[in-house]
Amino acid sequence: MPTPHRILIAFSVLAAVVVGGSGFGPAAEDPATEHPATEHPGAAIYREHCVRCHGPGGLGTANHPDPLVGDRSISQLAASIDETMPEEDPTLVTGEAARQVADYIHRSFYSAVARDRHRPARVELSRLTVRQHRHTLADIVGSFRDEPPAADAARGLTGEYFKTGRFDRNKGLVFERIDPTVAFDFGTSGPEEGRFEPTRFAIRWTGGIVPTETGVHEFVIRTEHAAKLSLNGGRKEPAVIDAVVKSGTDTDYRGSVFLLGGRHYPLVLEFWKANQGVDKHDAPSATPPTPASIRLLWKPPHGVVETVPARVLLPREPPRVFVLATPFPPDDRSIGYDRGTSVSPEWFEATTAAAIETADHVLRHVDRLAGVGRDAADREARLRSFAATFAERAFRQPLSDDLQALVVDRAFADAPDLDTALRRSLLAVLASPRFLFRESGDNDAFATAARLSFGLWDSIPDGPLWEAAARGDLATAEQVRGQAERMVQDRRTRAKVRDFLFSWLRVDLGPELATDSAHHPEFTPEVAADLRTSLELFLDDAVWTNGDFRNLFTADELPINGRLAPLYGATLPAEADFTRVRLDDGRRGGLLSHPYLMSVLSYPASTSPIHRGVFLARSVLGNTLRPPQEAIAPVPPEQQPDLTTRERVALQTSAFACQTCHTMINPLGFALEEFDEIGRYRTAEPVADGPRAIDASGSYRPREGPPATFHGGRELGAYVAGSRDAQEAFVQAVFHALVKQPVRAWGGDTLEGLRRSFAASGFEIRRLLVDIMVVAAMPPRHDVASLPAPERSP
Amino acid sequence: MIVPGMIPRRALLRRLGIGSAVLPFLGNLPSLAASAPAARQRLVVVFSPDGVVKKNFWPSEPGSFADRDLPPILGPFAPFKDRLLTLKGIDNNVLGDGDGHMRGMGCLLTGIELFPGNIQGGSDTPAGWASGISIDQEIRNHLQAFPATETRFGSLEFGVLVPHKADTWTRMVYAGPNKPVAPIDDPYQMFAKLYGSMKDRESVRSVLDEVREDLARITATLPAEDRRILEEHATLVRSLERNLADQRAAVAHPVPVLEQGVVEQNDQMPRISRIQIELLVSALAADFTRIATLQYTNSVGQPHMKWLGVDEGQHELSHEPNSNAAAQEKPTKINTWYAEEIAHLAKRLADTPEPGGDGSLLDHTTILWTNELGEGNSHSRDDIPWVLIGGGLGFATGRAVEFPGVPHNRFLLALAHAMGHTGLVRFGNPDHCGEGPLTGLA
Repeated sequence: MPTPHRILIAFSVLAAVVVGGSGFGPAAEDPATEHPATEHPGAAIYREHCVRCHGPGGLGTANHPDPLVGDRSISQLAASIDETMPEEDPTLVTGEAARQVADYIHRSFYSAVARDRHRPARVELSRLTVRQHRHTLADIVGSFRDEPPAADAARGLTGEYFKTGRFDRNKGLVFERIDPTVAFDFGTSGPEEGRFEPTRFAIRWTGGIVPTETGVHEFVIRTEHAAKLSLNGGRKEPAVIDAVVKSGTDTDYRGSVFLLGGRHYPLVLEFWKANQGVDKHDAPSATPPTPASIRLLWKPPHGVVETVPARVLLPREPPRVFVLATPFPPDDRSIGYDRGTSVSPEWFEATTAAAIETADHVLRHVDRLAGVGRDAADREARLRSFAATFAERAFRQPLSDDLQALVVDRAFADAPDLDTALRRSLLAVLASPRFLFRESGDNDAFATAARLSFGLWDSIPDGPLWEAAARGDLATAEQVRGQAERMVQDRRTRAKVRDFLFSWLRVDLGPELATDSAHHPEFTPEVAADLRTSLELFLDDAVWTNGDFRNLFTADELPINGRLAPLYGATLPAEADFTRVRLDDGRRGGLLSHPYLMSVLSYPASTSPIHRGVFLARSVLGNTLRPPQEAIAPVPPEQQPDLTTRERVALQTSAFACQTCHTMINPLGFALEEFDEIGRYRTAEPVADGPRAIDASGSYRPREGPPATFHGGRELGAYVAGSRDAQEAFVQAVFHALVKQPVRAWGGDTLEGLRRSFAASGFEIRRLLVDIMVVAAMPPRHDVASLPAPERSP
Repeated sequence: MIVPGMIPRRALLRRLGIGSAVLPFLGNLPSLAASAPAARQRLVVVFSPDGVVKKNFWPSEPGSFADRDLPPILGPFAPFKDRLLTLKGIDNNVLGDGDGHMRGMGCLLTGIELFPGNIQGGSDTPAGWASGISIDQEIRNHLQAFPATETRFGSLEFGVLVPHKADTWTRMVYAGPNKPVAPIDDPYQMFAKLYGSMKDRESVRSVLDEVREDLARITATLPAEDRRILEEHATLVRSLERNLADQRAAVAHPVPVLEQGVVEQNDQMPRISRIQIELLVSALAADFTRIATLQYTNSVGQPHMKWLGVDEGQHELSHEPNSNAAAQEKPTKINTWYAEEIAHLAKRLADTPEPGGDGSLLDHTTILWTNELGEGNSHSRDDIPWVLIGGGLGFATGRAVEFPGVPHNRFLLALAHAMGHTGLVRFGNPDHCGEGPLTGLA
């Protein structure tokens, strides 16, 4: 049981995280779409006493033409208003009223920040985001390799079983099969009685692996014998794990590799129960056969060490992927989505290191990538042509003669040898603003193609899209739609949407769950990792199988495995893989009551209706909330042992200052009170004098239309599914995640238009992705006429 | 954590030599040595395989080389007689798992048993890696612990035609138990390790003109609101350019020029050997390291030295009995070739002035030539060849010394002490450390 003191610390940390991290701050406000819970108290004062001279929005009037703008702080403004305003009778607005009106003026139009917010939204020149940088480089390099094999339903790795100590298919192959996972205990006999000698056999598993998370993945081979794991590397390169030489008594061999989520990587796992070196196999041995087992485990980011599951394994080996390992500073996410509207020395250094890393990789594999032998007579011509194609793909534009001269010909003219020439050309391309920045070129069909591919994939156009642009087949909305419909099927769209959803739910960075809590010893790190997987599978199914946005909030089935089943009231065999289970007699509200989210939005020993309510009000229903006026450390349950969580929260937020926002937050969060701090359904909550029945009644006042009431997760889910506020918030969030530009830049009615077509399609998420791209592929153009004539460099 | 291809956080700084990270790097360059450094000591261990032909290798008796000819295999060292020291009678006594070649290699510089494992030799039980650190790495770690002796790499492991197979026969250097260090036998790979960052700097610098030109062109076509970010970008490009120009002026280090297109094949062994020696000498001159190893092939090595008129593999030849006098001729030729390469290394060191100090590099460097076996045909690990050339360790040279029956752990200890690592009391298996470091060398 944690001490109250410890809980207090946990509370204030969480409160700080919410304020700082989930977009309460003014920077997150977006005036055109903001829907404040209530009007600012200073607004009424302004209307009553100030607007007569200063005009609406501080724009000024005929007698007072100067706009009300400046750089004084709120307290300076307040002091000035207190003493001097309004001019006819400065006693009318003083003290608290002066402070309130100063606060209103400052936030609404007076300060530089406020003025900036009122500038018309426009498509800004942006650099690649970190995700775009990594995926773009993977695809540019990958475009010179084979396509990965089409993924079918088959899962697992192809296992070749040999009765010899070497992988010679002619002499030693006994059989080949697909193994869903690598987790075998062969005892002292062998993979199959009678077909192998117990003292000598070898197995090779090949195929692909598709992680969903981006980050460092640790792999573990657990065996008493010799083994080797190659992952996304050539056979001549160092293996991720090299335990070919068995030495000593270790049985766990570890290695780590940085992987981009959603891509297919080649994997080869080799296992030997056999001595190497001089063959003494036929010599009589005094020692009996030893046991043999092998297991391939991994620890993905935010996960635990577990057997690599079948769902991420593919039996066919894809070509390798270039994964940029250079670390980058994180992108600006202050307005809710990653965007690249600023540059920094750290980012610039990272791009230069990334260019070097990419050039190194290309040079190492140039013979294969460029398809030319070291001694080929036309090597120079072929390398030049390779460099030009590389530049074209990196720039997302056909290479003009000028550009060809700049980034290809110059390098080849000056360099002492061909390798150096190619290296210089690659570096010139990867350091070029045409690669690093989007929307920097002409607004032609290739720009449309790039908008489509960056929108859906965060990467460059593929072959068919490029060809469509070249043919002029991206001129009409129908043509763009055709391409978008093709592209939305691609695994890269799935990966991007997956990353968006995790970021929308604010779990992309892997929240710390209090899995060590003394309150819930059953809530282990393994359970937390399984719940994350369950959410992942739920979302994947909801978007790509069911496809109806409303189903996100109404599905009453959740993916549950054998380990989760007893905790959440399902009956499954202990070893059962994830399967959809209808929980709690249908009382769940899909995503909203998913145990992972419920746990994330809780304290270790109690739920947090405030965190849950803020999540619903902001992320799901799209409301802007101001930060609390003062930091308040919530009172720990121990200090008010007779109150339920609901009563305690109501009491704590009863002050008038809190009510502005908490009248919206609390009734939303209360509706989820029937799910406890680890997301189990409950009907009662224990308090000091015994269990008290849960009150899960809640309400919401939408931006338009009558207030709604609901009771419990299922009714809340049903309400949200039909809520126009939720639909609009989702459309906007998807737009920003895909396009990374403000939707308002496409005009004030674009958002509502997209919402309507979303509704008309029956809320088909896939259709929404396509519709957004059809809109965003045709950007609003800058008012070119007002610009000075472009100065062309000589 | 090992992440293939991963460039650590400050990668760019390090790779490009910008900012604070450049200081230690520059500090290692002789041209910038601010104050006269304490006398540097260097140790280069050279390995060749399969034992020697004893009668053609060892001096007939101990004592000065001044007034006598060297034995045939040591003949190439004639110009360095006064700096030559041969130590006979020092044995590798480590027992346990693994055949003679495996223990000869894995215990040569570690002085400790191999772990049990799955590598089966021609005799004895199968074994894995050595169960301890090797003496070169022990000394390296000691030197790296002090600013005065710390170098950019600490140690460099060169190879010549080491088979691309990691096993007990191909690894001599160990960073710790079960941690073999692979020698780099591709000269171009070694070049990239030594000079890659300079090449990167040069490459980046060479394209910045194009980048600035293109930036100017694009900026001119953009609306004013969008120019800001590109102007900021241009500022970053300019400051990188300035930085690189400054570095270029400061780092005026002669980078060796490599013969291109040498592939790793048996017949290229002489060329690879010479390129590796050049890289080794320039790395020592630049004070990139003070500890190096140079491993010719591997234990049980099978080079076919056709350029000497020897078509058979070295290992098979080494099995011929001593009674077959004719058959001893070829292993003698082979070992003499290794001696010539080492003599060439000695000459290159002798021809290179000690940067910021007196005399030549050879005056401050000891080359130690050794082998996994004392004798090929008997697989004996008694009388392991230990041939020292140069003044790095401060031993009394110009003579042959015999230490009958001394376990080699004591000699390994003496190497550490001579390199300043005097706190090392035992090394490898303590049972073989006797009365501590071997004395009578200085």
